Amino acid sequence: MDMTLNAFTLSVLTGLQLGSIYVLIALGLTLIFGTLGVVNFAHGALYLIAIYLAVSINNALGFGLALILVPPILFVIGVLLERGLIQRFYNRPHTDQILVTFGLAIVLQELLKWIFGANNIPFAIPSWGNGIIMLHDYLPFLEGFVVYPKWRMILVVVAIVTVSAVFALLHLTRFGLVIRAGMRDAEMLQFLGVNINRRFMIVFGLGAMIAGIAGVFGGPVTQVSPEVGMQLLVPSFLIVVIGGMGSLGGAVLAGILIGMAQSFTAPYIYLNTIIIYLITVIILLVRPRGLLGAKGVFE
Amino acid sequence: MTDVKSDKTNPTAAGWSRRDVLKATSVGAVGAATPMFFTQNAWAEKAIGNYPVNGSEVVLGFNVPQTGAYADEGADELRAYKLAVKHLNNGGGMLDTLKPSMLKGNGILGKKVTYVTGDTQTNADASRTSARRMIERDKVIMVTGGSSSGIAIAQQYLCNELGIIFMCGLTHSNDTTGKDKQRYGFRHFFNAHMTGKALSPVLSNEYGKDRRAFHLTADYSWGHTQQESMQEFTEKEGWGTEGNIMTPLKTTDFSQYLSQVLNSDADVLILNHYGANMVNSLTNAVNFGMRDMQKNGKNLEIVVPLYSRLMAKGAGSANIDGVLGTSGWNWALQDEGSKVFVKAFSDEYGFPPSQAAHTCYVQTLLYANACEMAGTFYPPEVIKALEDFEFTGAGNGPTLYRGSDHQCIKDILVMQGKSPSARNSDFDYLQIVDQVDAKTVDYDPAIFGGELGPYEPA
Repeated sequence: MDMTLNAFTLSVLTGLQLGSIYVLIALGLTLIFGTLGVVNFAHGALYLIAIYLAVSINNALGFGLALILVPPILFVIGVLLERGLIQRFYNRPHTDQILVTFGLAIVLQELLKWIFGANNIPFAIPSWGNGIIMLHDYLPFLEGFVVYPKWRMILVVVAIVTVSAVFALLHLTRFGLVIRAGMRDAEMLQFLGVNINRRFMIVFGLGAMIAGIAGVFGGPVTQVSPEVGMQLLVPSFLIVVIGGMGSLGGAVLAGILIGMAQSFTAPYIYLNTIIIYLITVIILLVRPRGLLGAKGVFE
Repeated sequence: MTDVKSDKTNPTAAGWSRRDVLKATSVGAVGAATPMFFTQNAWAEKAIGNYPVNGSEVVLGFNVPQTGAYADEGADELRAYKLAVKHLNNGGGMLDTLKPSMLKGNGILGKKVTYVTGDTQTNADASRTSARRMIERDKVIMVTGGSSSGIAIAQQYLCNELGIIFMCGLTHSNDTTGKDKQRYGFRHFFNAHMTGKALSPVLSNEYGKDRRAFHLTADYSWGHTQQESMQEFTEKEGWGTEGNIMTPLKTTDFSQYLSQVLNSDADVLILNHYGANMVNSLTNAVNFGMRDMQKNGKNLEIVVPLYSRLMAKGAGSANIDGVLGTSGWNWALQDEGSKVFVKAFSDEYGFPPSQAAHTCYVQTLLYANACEMAGTFYPPEVIKALEDFEFTGAGNGPTLYRGSDHQCIKDILVMQGKSPSARNSDFDYLQIVDQVDAKTVDYDPAIFGGELGPYEPA
């Protein structure tokens, strides 16, 4: 299987698409870690809740309502989770946070399995996103007949839009300014009379909401079964580590890197299964704080 | 007469001759040995595994995936096991159709059947731990279950070592009764080789002889043997093989592998995946437009060598419409054995059984019947009763439990996915295209090597 231009293009697109779903999940993970300092292992379970909600609403009421309803519902779930449980662990060691969120993930996963069964629930792509794009019509350098699923291209666009929106929120708004200040020095901000706790609650909700967006668009790609959350959590967590804990830019960069690596090693099973860990080891050896990590954080 | 009687009833000590003493001793010795004459071959028996079985009950161990990717299949297996226990204790179900049968509906060898359950988690270590607990703590006489070849093989080795008979649940790898076969392991389900043999002629009939196949294969025992068998038999039909990619079992998004297929010259995609794996790979392939695509001037076709109703449901009938594969059994079969089983299962649970449920139910009955035939729970004798046992009335036509590799040789089914409009119920996803008879799928067990080992574990 020589690497022709056609094969290269397909692999790049696949890498982007794999990276997109990782980025969407890692984004929430790193946002929560960067602001709250909490390692949220329940984030995969939030994605799981999102895809089950999305497929249920999609099958009953249509995709449009799933798109409108799921992200806000996830925001509310995130806020409730933060108020009810996570906030009690802010001043506890990271190991406690990992244990409680990991435990929560298992409880949520088994709960969903109990309600919906262990089998996959088919998540049909809405008609407007179904079908394939004839890449050779747009990219003249391709030879012959080269196609790619439309929905996966939409997923890449959704990831780009979501990442841009989060960047804009953090860098162009007053809310973002306060959050970024809080990430630097939460204590000082409180001395200045800013209610940082309320904002942190919103950030946690925001992280969950991004998992909601990922669920609506990623569900038809990853499919809907109880194992999906945990399977995505590990690569997403590694992406946060590789990118630098708490760095949004790092998560995006690392997500695409891992997606590409997985795509290009697909024909070689043994390399394909370890590539993500291989990259993690190499990057952490060369740059312990991750690609774009802040100095001193988890170094 | 009276005199004689009085003589006999009033013997004096002085009246005992040396000859009388010898006679009495030998009669006494024969009398003491009598129960053993009625227990077949009892003179040869010694403690093996959890034999002898004490008390009025005998315990069976049902080790099925209750969590993990195959949990739904495991749940159906457990339903079938509970039904089998009910029938063994009270009669009914296939006890009325299995022939020859010594099952009376009064338990096994007069002992009431009880059971314990375990969770394999579709994880080799977890399945071994669970089986060991059943054997050592619950004193089960037999272990059965599982929905994955890796797990079946792991348990089979353990049980063989501990002298406990293992009746495999759903396992389809050639290795289970091939290179990894064990004296204490038995498989009723068919295997990858039989799938290749039955399916390939149907495929070449349907899609033509000039085809090029690309395989995506689950990276474990079953996937590997399934791929080898499909490649072997499709190449015998004249097909070419464009490529094969091993995919990790936990893959949920197959786009990276499907891109490789798109970029090849293949016009048939063979998905050597099972369970959630197959559901995802097939759905992804459909998203990639592969069901509406043309390659080499022909329609690109997708083949799923091992089919199950649960998988078909998970993938959705729009996606499996027309896709060909094989199954061990289907609830729509109209033979007597299948009919009574489907009725009993549906009456109990409200829906028809899966092929996993069928094989598990039959395995339990076959084990119980072998004990009755052997007249003992002594494992070597039960094994001998199962070996080369020929039977009918269990849903797959005349069947042989082949002694040389402990593989059942029986009819298997070529299945095709139904279109959404052709379905009649929520359980009606597949239609039977062909029932391939046992003779056609039979093979020489020597091709896979392996050794059964001794009847008495070391």
